[in-house]
Amino acid sequence: MNKDYKFVDQAIEELLPKVKEAGLDTVWDRFKSMQPQCGFGELGICCRICWKGPCRIDPFGNGSQRGICGADAHTIVARNLIRGIAAGAAAHSDHGRHIALTLLEVAEGHAPAYCIKDEKKLMSVAARLGLSTEGKNVRQVAKEVALATLEDFSRQNSSIPCSWARQTMTAERAEKLTALGVMPHNIDAVVAGIMNRTHVGCDADPVNLLLGGLKGALADYTGMYLSTELSDVIFGTPEPVITTANLGVLKEDAVNIAVHGHNPLLSEIICDVAGSMDEEARQAGAKEGINIVGVCCTGNEVMARRGIPLATNYLSQEMAVLTGAVDAMVVDVQCIMPSLGVLQECYHTQLITTMATNKIPGAVHVEFTEKTALEDARRVVELAIEAYKRRDKNKINIPQYKETAIVGFSAEAVFAALSKLNKEDPLKPLLDNIVNGNIQGVALFAGCSTTRVAQDHNFVTIARELARHNVLLLATGCGAGAFAKLGLMTQEATEAYAGDSLKAVLTAVGEAAGLNGPLPLVLHMGSCVDNTRAVTVATALANKLGVDLDKLPVVASAPEAMSEKAVAIGTWAVTLGIPTHLGIIPQVTGSSLVTEVLTDKLKDLVGGYFIVETDPLRAAGKLYEVIRERRKALGI
Amino acid sequence: MAKIKENSFIYADPQKCLGCKNCGLACALAHAGCDLQTAVAGKRQLQPRNSVVKAGDMFMPIQCRQCEDAPCAQACPTGAIRQEDGLVKINEQNCVGCKVCSMVCPFGAIVVTPVPNAEPNRKTKRGKALKCDLCFSSVRKDGQLTCACVEACPTQAVMLVDPEGYRTKILEARAKELAKAHSVAKQKRA
Repeated sequence: MNKDYKFVDQAIEELLPKVKEAGLDTVWDRFKSMQPQCGFGELGICCRICWKGPCRIDPFGNGSQRGICGADAHTIVARNLIRGIAAGAAAHSDHGRHIALTLLEVAEGHAPAYCIKDEKKLMSVAARLGLSTEGKNVRQVAKEVALATLEDFSRQNSSIPCSWARQTMTAERAEKLTALGVMPHNIDAVVAGIMNRTHVGCDADPVNLLLGGLKGALADYTGMYLSTELSDVIFGTPEPVITTANLGVLKEDAVNIAVHGHNPLLSEIICDVAGSMDEEARQAGAKEGINIVGVCCTGNEVMARRGIPLATNYLSQEMAVLTGAVDAMVVDVQCIMPSLGVLQECYHTQLITTMATNKIPGAVHVEFTEKTALEDARRVVELAIEAYKRRDKNKINIPQYKETAIVGFSAEAVFAALSKLNKEDPLKPLLDNIVNGNIQGVALFAGCSTTRVAQDHNFVTIARELARHNVLLLATGCGAGAFAKLGLMTQEATEAYAGDSLKAVLTAVGEAAGLNGPLPLVLHMGSCVDNTRAVTVATALANKLGVDLDKLPVVASAPEAMSEKAVAIGTWAVTLGIPTHLGIIPQVTGSSLVTEVLTDKLKDLVGGYFIVETDPLRAAGKLYEVIRERRKALGI
Repeated sequence: MAKIKENSFIYADPQKCLGCKNCGLACALAHAGCDLQTAVAGKRQLQPRNSVVKAGDMFMPIQCRQCEDAPCAQACPTGAIRQEDGLVKINEQNCVGCKVCSMVCPFGAIVVTPVPNAEPNRKTKRGKALKCDLCFSSVRKDGQLTCACVEACPTQAVMLVDPEGYRTKILEARAKELAKAHSVAKQKRA
């Protein structure tokens, strides 16, 4: 574990010494002072499920090999792992539920701030859910879609799979997963089921527990899929847009509002109202009016849909405040560091929490509801303008780093770009190039950033290496944030790093799509909840080829994963048949059995499996090797 | 004649110990010379040289005190244990695993166990006496001893104590208190 690493992101490197001078702590200082971290926890062999415990297993075989109840390392590790998956599924699906309920409010006319921005997508979603749209107006269809979606949270008949799971993967995959007993019928019931079976004295069979984990992961997939698609219906489906990323997007002469978290429901409305409040900002002295920037995945949401610049990704969120130029940090849910509340003691930045279930000591709370979204958004902007007046000019320190980023590659946008090459059969050009080897395969980068590795380093290193081998690169979440910040979502990056045949394909598509040059090296598919966009593309390819997902030369990598959501995403990727790389060591190695199942045995069961490799260059090698193997198996 | 320096030793403050056993993991790994993930993946059976013992509602990590008149060294029939380099050392080459040292140790700080990863031997179990050696082979760049258990303790309960320095600190602290008490008493009398 490297604690004194150099940052790839020069903006952080430049800002950090100044933070130290001010005597403030950042995530990296806290990581250092947390060393050494508990070895039992790292191995996943500490059980705190009941109050007879905590129990821990001696990994060296001398001391206790079973907890007080008799659970061994395998049971304990499996239980801990799948509880993480349940938490990830709960996070994603609660986000999705919020969007679905908003769609219902829109349909019933109770949410004046919102509308159906993408009717075409609404209709395609309705068709996918098997709903007839004939003779119905948009609001009727929206209501039916919302209600059909909410059924995935409430269905009691366990023999009927969740519609959003069943209808979005290949038929073969859905059958296979149903036969395995891991298809979810009701997201909430599956999450509750995991909490139930891991209670003291319940499921102790590690393999059965892990199967429960796969089901939990597919519940997560369901919640994510519906969340993305319905967000597109309400806020519009992303299309390619050119913007900028990194801390240099903050403006000294503007009221800077950073939107941070994951859920676009409030941040979208803030963007809507900010324009009309520009004059108030100017009157307060901000010559450039209001400047909205994104952090983490709320940042990715508004970046992909509106071209709002991205200030930074997860791990460096504190850096945004430490520029002294962020007037309000508006947060919704997930991945928000409580330290932001502490930093406010030294900086004028107003931290504003907005969700009833996500409050942070030190923040002002403006409770958001769909019905009052416009007023809530205005209140937030007013607070930002008030905070601007309290700015300390001496503390302003904006590192002048920003990169162009071409973002907004939803599945629809990818198909639209391809249709410029072949209107009748948009997938054909992509498929042809995969078959002829111009594109060797596809890699999806997902997941967080973590103190366990130099931030962004693994992402950038693996991506460059795979691009050199002509692998098409997709990214979401804080991985996408890393690539955007560091200039890998540019046409120049394609010129610099793509292998010759990949470069030719990206250029042909980019030129046809009117970009006057190639597509960017890495395609930004959205926030972390949008990983399912990549599944949409993969499923279309698989259906076109007439094979299941586990045959495709498609891999995923979460090289800097950290959150329980990432655990859930990685697990469903594997369950769908996609080999998935982890660049950090997951907290499961205390059980040889669980480790073996995850990295090997799952291959026979579902086709996907985890590849754990902490060295990014070697990881790239292993991922490329998988792509080669799969090509060989397909005979291409 | 130069004064004989007392041996440094590892001491753990039971007020601070939470019983997490991280010191044990660190000790076992330090003596195996590998990291946690490698050890676990290789299913290596490693032996810590300390034990965390619960006494009432307190935890007490116990390891060799590096005794100044060490009973283990006195008792060892093969002369494998002797005072050397500021600690009580076991020369594993000479140890036959007879357990006399572990029986005479007042702290139960010596275990006799097969040396990790010793090649199996059909004649014997290859057991050797193991105890805290202050990680004597691990010296930091600045020349100071670095002890794995000390570095691993999340609450800084475990420390490497230099008896003379420790005593000086206590003497100074008590002297300060006593001097203050005396001067107050004097003022009152006056």
